Amino acid sequence: MNDVLVTGGLIVALFALLGSGVWIGLTLAGVAWIGMELFSSRPAGDAMAITIWGASSSWTLTALPLFVWMGEILFRTRLSESMFRGLAPWVNLLPGRLLHTNILGSTIFAAVSGSSAATCATIGKMSIPELTKRHYPADKIVGSLGGASTLGLLIPPSIIMIVYGVAAEVSIAKLFMAGVLPGLLLGGLFSGYLMVWALLNPAKVPKADENMSLARKLHESRHLLPVVMLIGGVIGSIYTGIATATEAAAIGVVGALVLSAAQGSLNWQTFRDSLLGATRLYCMIGFILAGAAFLTLSMGYIGLPRQLAEFVTGLGLSPAVLIVAIALFYILLGCFLDGISMIVLTMGVILPTVTAAGLDLIWFGIFVVIVVEMAQITPPVGFNLFVLQGMTQREITWIARVTAPYFGLMALALLLLWWFPGIATWLPSRM
Amino acid sequence: MLRRLLDVIYDSAAWLAALFMIGVLVMVLLSIFGRLMNFYIPGTDAYAGYAMAGAGFLALAHTLKKNEHIRVTLIIGKLQGRARHALELWSLSVAVLLSGLFAFYAMRLAWQSHQFHDISTSSDATPLWIPQILMVVGTLVLCVAFIDEWVLEWRGLRAHGRPGPTEPGEVPHE
Repeated sequence: MNDVLVTGGLIVALFALLGSGVWIGLTLAGVAWIGMELFSSRPAGDAMAITIWGASSSWTLTALPLFVWMGEILFRTRLSESMFRGLAPWVNLLPGRLLHTNILGSTIFAAVSGSSAATCATIGKMSIPELTKRHYPADKIVGSLGGASTLGLLIPPSIIMIVYGVAAEVSIAKLFMAGVLPGLLLGGLFSGYLMVWALLNPAKVPKADENMSLARKLHESRHLLPVVMLIGGVIGSIYTGIATATEAAAIGVVGALVLSAAQGSLNWQTFRDSLLGATRLYCMIGFILAGAAFLTLSMGYIGLPRQLAEFVTGLGLSPAVLIVAIALFYILLGCFLDGISMIVLTMGVILPTVTAAGLDLIWFGIFVVIVVEMAQITPPVGFNLFVLQGMTQREITWIARVTAPYFGLMALALLLLWWFPGIATWLPSRM
Repeated sequence: MLRRLLDVIYDSAAWLAALFMIGVLVMVLLSIFGRLMNFYIPGTDAYAGYAMAGAGFLALAHTLKKNEHIRVTLIIGKLQGRARHALELWSLSVAVLLSGLFAFYAMRLAWQSHQFHDISTSSDATPLWIPQILMVVGTLVLCVAFIDEWVLEWRGLRAHGRPGPTEPGEVPHE
């Protein structure tokens, strides 16, 4: 009982520190410190230094800064422009027309970028002005972009999967592969939704641009070639087992630099910006990971993960109920925290419970990533909402409302993933 | 004068961090080439890890100054005037304390590694205090940056911007 009280006290301390605006990485380390002091005789300071050093210099994590850098390089190229030009002639044929550039563009860009905010900014940079100029309805432009750009998390490479993979000690390469089919499924659901809407509301879809001949279309598609090659290089090398996730990331950075040079957008200024931008972004994530590593150690001393697992097992919940409970918990947490903090904060505690319930950790990883995707578009804290707010100058409540249907579609994808776990687990089993 | 000096420290640490970022790339590429062309450089994996640590720790202060370390601003962002000032001072005080502890124990770790001749267990066999210096320097500069921010806040000179993109066209990070 005493343990429960102290654990409760720690959780209160955690939320008090977070809520009062203390930086997340420091908050995690601070709470871990208090826990260590209360529950173990091991000197907290020394344990902190050695744990954080180990976590920050571990080889498994090196894929993360490299994929971050790759994304920062591509963000500063003219990739968004060439993707739009390559995709537009084809999607003109579909009901909903150019709105599909948001979905397809995000799906493709997600395959070279590990972040949903970057995907959102890169695709939106081109599609928002172009579609607005052609009088597509604003709610559909912003909604489809907000929904689809969350695929940046699910389709490999994915920053958040690296974080999960390190925390759960599962193969990052397998996780990446597990994300491919669910990512395509979500892309299909989003596109399908737009088509149904377009068929029901034909008057709201602007006329198609001039029709191009097939040869012309193919010629325009040449713009897609570099990015397709980059995707092939990165994902292909992981799938075939030629490269580890880290090595694929290094190949990706080189490939992104080559692509950027070939497009003529590589100069000292963009190189410096991408390098410093990536260093800062990695530093921000690394700071949270460092605090979380120490918190996980401290939680282990407290025995919280084990106690929680025993408690939940004692309840005799079916895995389905457990999964629903976890999903609701994350969606709630996602209203206040960003995805990476959510994962590192909870994984150390929740994984033993998940393992005890007999759930596959690769499958659970995909499940968690989709839930985090949903959290990206829930107010008041949702990073994609912030990006869209910056790009459109609209109220965040309006943006949240127009992206809400895509939230529903992601919930649908979770159900499909539950009924057909093979969507996630089949591809990695073929490696 | 002091202002200039501090900014130079943050910026040079950031540039060093950026060099270490390139170092991660070079180490991983070396190990790929080594495997393809059948030569073996011992310890590239470990060096990539140390370089990553360098990139992360040395950039801490610069990232703070650029307002890119994330925190929950749900409450603090809604406050204004005295209340905001008080809460900012509180969170900065906690940050100074924790980053100070962090820097102190990082130093102690490197010192102990040096005293006990702690050597990396993988094939690089690096004396661990050498890469651990990066953590010491990075956390020290971070602590200085937090003190700097605290003083600026105390004197009412700290800009209370919204967190997120600091320059137009920059992506808030996730």
